[in-house]
Amino acid sequence: MESRVLKPILAVYLGLFLLFLYGPFLVLGILSFQQGPEGGPQFPITEWSIFWYQHILGLAPPSRVAPLPIGISLFRSLSLAFMTMITSTVLGVMSAQAFRRNFRGKTLAFYLIVLGMIVPGVLVGLGSALVATTTGIERHWWSTAFATHVVYTLPFAFLVMLAIFNRFDGSIEEAAWSLGASPVRTFRKVTFPLIFPGVLSAMLFAFTLSYDEFSRTLFSSGREQTLPLAIYGTFTVEIHPNVFAFGVLTTLFSFALLTVYAILMTLSVRRARRVAIQESIA
Amino acid sequence: MSKEAVLHLEGLSKSFGDKVALSNISFSVNQKEYVSLLGPSGSGKTTLLRTISGFETPQAGRVTLAGRDVTSAPAHDRGIGFVFQNFALFPHLSVFDNVAFGLRNRAQPVPESEVRSKVLEMIDLVGLQGLARRGTHQISGGQKQRVALARTLVTRPKLVLLDEPLGALDANLRQRMRTELRNIREQLDIPFLHVTGSETEALAMGDRLIVLDNGRIGQDGAPDEIYNRPASANVARFLNRYNVFDGAFEGDAFVTKYGSFPYASRVTGGESAYAIRYDRLAARPVGSAPGSNLAATYVTSEYLGSSLVHLFETADGKVVEVEHHLSNGPPDAYEAGHAYALTWKSEHGIAFG
Amino acid sequence: MTVANIAAPAKARVKTRAAKGLGVAGTYLLLAPAMVWMTLFLVVPMAMIVYVSFWTQSTFKIDSTLTLASWRTFFASDTYINSLWTTVRIWLIVLVTTFLVGYPTALYVGLFVKNKTLQTALLVVCVIPFWTSFLIRVLAWRPMLGKEGAINILLMKAHIISQPIEALLFTELSVVIGMTQIYVVFMVGPIAFMLGRIDPSIIEAARDLGADFWRILRKIIFPLSLPGVVVGAIFVSVMVLGEFATSAALSGRKVNLLGNIIVTQVGSLKWALASVVGVILTVIMGLVIAGLLRVVDLKKEL
Repeated sequence: MESRVLKPILAVYLGLFLLFLYGPFLVLGILSFQQGPEGGPQFPITEWSIFWYQHILGLAPPSRVAPLPIGISLFRSLSLAFMTMITSTVLGVMSAQAFRRNFRGKTLAFYLIVLGMIVPGVLVGLGSALVATTTGIERHWWSTAFATHVVYTLPFAFLVMLAIFNRFDGSIEEAAWSLGASPVRTFRKVTFPLIFPGVLSAMLFAFTLSYDEFSRTLFSSGREQTLPLAIYGTFTVEIHPNVFAFGVLTTLFSFALLTVYAILMTLSVRRARRVAIQESIA
Repeated sequence: MSKEAVLHLEGLSKSFGDKVALSNISFSVNQKEYVSLLGPSGSGKTTLLRTISGFETPQAGRVTLAGRDVTSAPAHDRGIGFVFQNFALFPHLSVFDNVAFGLRNRAQPVPESEVRSKVLEMIDLVGLQGLARRGTHQISGGQKQRVALARTLVTRPKLVLLDEPLGALDANLRQRMRTELRNIREQLDIPFLHVTGSETEALAMGDRLIVLDNGRIGQDGAPDEIYNRPASANVARFLNRYNVFDGAFEGDAFVTKYGSFPYASRVTGGESAYAIRYDRLAARPVGSAPGSNLAATYVTSEYLGSSLVHLFETADGKVVEVEHHLSNGPPDAYEAGHAYALTWKSEHGIAFG
Repeated sequence: MTVANIAAPAKARVKTRAAKGLGVAGTYLLLAPAMVWMTLFLVVPMAMIVYVSFWTQSTFKIDSTLTLASWRTFFASDTYINSLWTTVRIWLIVLVTTFLVGYPTALYVGLFVKNKTLQTALLVVCVIPFWTSFLIRVLAWRPMLGKEGAINILLMKAHIISQPIEALLFTELSVVIGMTQIYVVFMVGPIAFMLGRIDPSIIEAARDLGADFWRILRKIIFPLSLPGVVVGAIFVSVMVLGEFATSAALSGRKVNLLGNIIVTQVGSLKWALASVVGVILTVIMGLVIAGLLRVVDLKKEL
């Protein structure tokens, strides 16, 4: 049958595909070890060195290459991501909890929330810049950019929590009520511990999306830049391998985040498995 | 020994959109009663339980618990215990913490020093000694059932509702649990309201049986009374012990398509039907015996342990069951496909309509 | 009387009614903050874009007198009209390329890889780049595509070409390549998901009836994967239409998408014109999404 021939061909294709996906990273990584400060952002590698990593960390001797404005913008990005994560996760959990019953306007509310992830950043950014300019509100990363970040990440948090609640067996909440626990207390002691893996996922999503967010922030953060904006600023000028070194570091940071998340998930998933077992008995 | 009702339902009605689940339900439950609620799926029995406990709000009617009107009280404020069919144990808590939950999380929590002794006492009572530290996924179905029970009983509710509690258990376990449930109720002196779809369970369990028929009360009385004198054709059907025939009264006679059937009991009103219990029928060779006659061919028999149920089929395809209790002597042998005459005494016939 | 199957409907009912403890007022209260936030910070800004597109724009000031001036400016200018066609053209090309590049991968991972763990692992491997910085991913193509970039060097070393290919960087091609790589994962995911849900016995049955693989692909596999293709197409379309960073970084300002126009106009404080472009972009996106949703009734298929 054809598929016996097709399978290995597709497997090879997969290999090429992954090369296509990861190729630029590899090149980026290799070039980050370019000689500095004279080395340029292309091949060949004149000399292997870790100059550019030192440059990023501010440890290199001064040269004609301006250092990337990392310090304060990194702080801003992390703070913004943290604020966004908390806000959109809380709003997402609340909204998903509301969605557990039917009510009038449910479909409209759903689309309103999901709209936040569909509309491209350039439009939302433009809109918020317009509102800020015409109403005279000053644009800052912690106000206007924060608002648009939450608009963007809330739908993701919401959808994750919707999926979690969908599989959640509500009868244990009723059991808690029948035992005398108020709905608030039930949420604290019964519901929340069990939906926690979902909450963790929502938080990770929101944090990562906000940390990397760029197009909306371009319009709404005012004069003080977040990290992606600082990077974007270097696009139009000459590129030096310090950006590559930065790229490698930032990628490692993302991997570290993912690893922390994976560890936390494995710890919480043990509880989730118990729920699954309970459900399969009934 | 007060005869004042613990639970009092008055005119309870509940619909979901167009579908009427409960219609004008009224009854009371006393302190020392074990009440079984029987009905097929769709009869509203689970809805009734959920309305009493507060998980559903009725459109009309009143729920009174120990003299207090709880109709609009939220579920966590009623003091009514609920044992779920799927147990609904808290999967992230141990057996001990599951049982202790109500004591620790009610509006006025019990001090922790008392919690320990109360919980352990209850764990003993339901037969779960030694399992206190286990997780809920480390115990068997029967043990889960007991945890669900213990968890509710330790809070000393005024009434316990059980929603098909034995449904998820295997037959052996079900038998044992029936006796245990009765014993526990006796010991703690709390009224139980036990919902089931199984007529054997309903007949065996309660001092009192309420049959639910399409959201209304079909019959309410002692099990033997209902068993011997079903109040309607549907109740007779739910008991799974009666052959029910369509027909109508013509004057004083009850006429079916098989002829006129004699009866001793007549229940007026409701659907017209004729009921004769499985074990009141006998099958004889054609033309050999007087009395009510119904022609049918023999199909097969089912062995139920203490009795044998013979299945016969009339000419138009209706299945008639004839039960023979083996304590009455050895059974007759029948030949498949042969015709027989089914006879019964008129004093056992019940005509409705 | 069997009790077993009574459990299922009862449990299903409980799931949807479970939030009873709140009451209707409680539900609306829980939902209110999110609704207010989205209205204030999404709906209002979007409405502003439409409104401002009709405002009067002078060189340095803007006032709210309504006029069609900016609209006329847009449609009268060749540059702007060109950017409109460029945007649509690039969108279509990238849509096709992400489909062509992504489908075989999704086919392999979703259909041919039987082990569920391996499937998930492969999908995670494909998705990991998504978790790294978008800008870095865009940037990473520069050293790949340049005259002295990795691709040219490899091709020259392998003696496939003697002169470096100039057209790889700072052209429309480079933008397409960059965008395809960045967005292809959004095609692979949904398609692999739909393919994974195909019951293998259907394919077995078709083979037993004598169909060869290409026929099975055309008549069975592809139609069943169509909802995934549509979802992927929606994701890719939305992102490509809103793009400006990739074209800025990889085309050296040669490729001007509508997104780029918005950015530059905002930079020169030409709010009205930027809003005009914003409205046009929104309309295009609306048409595209509506059109894609016509292809397959998603609610039913998913």
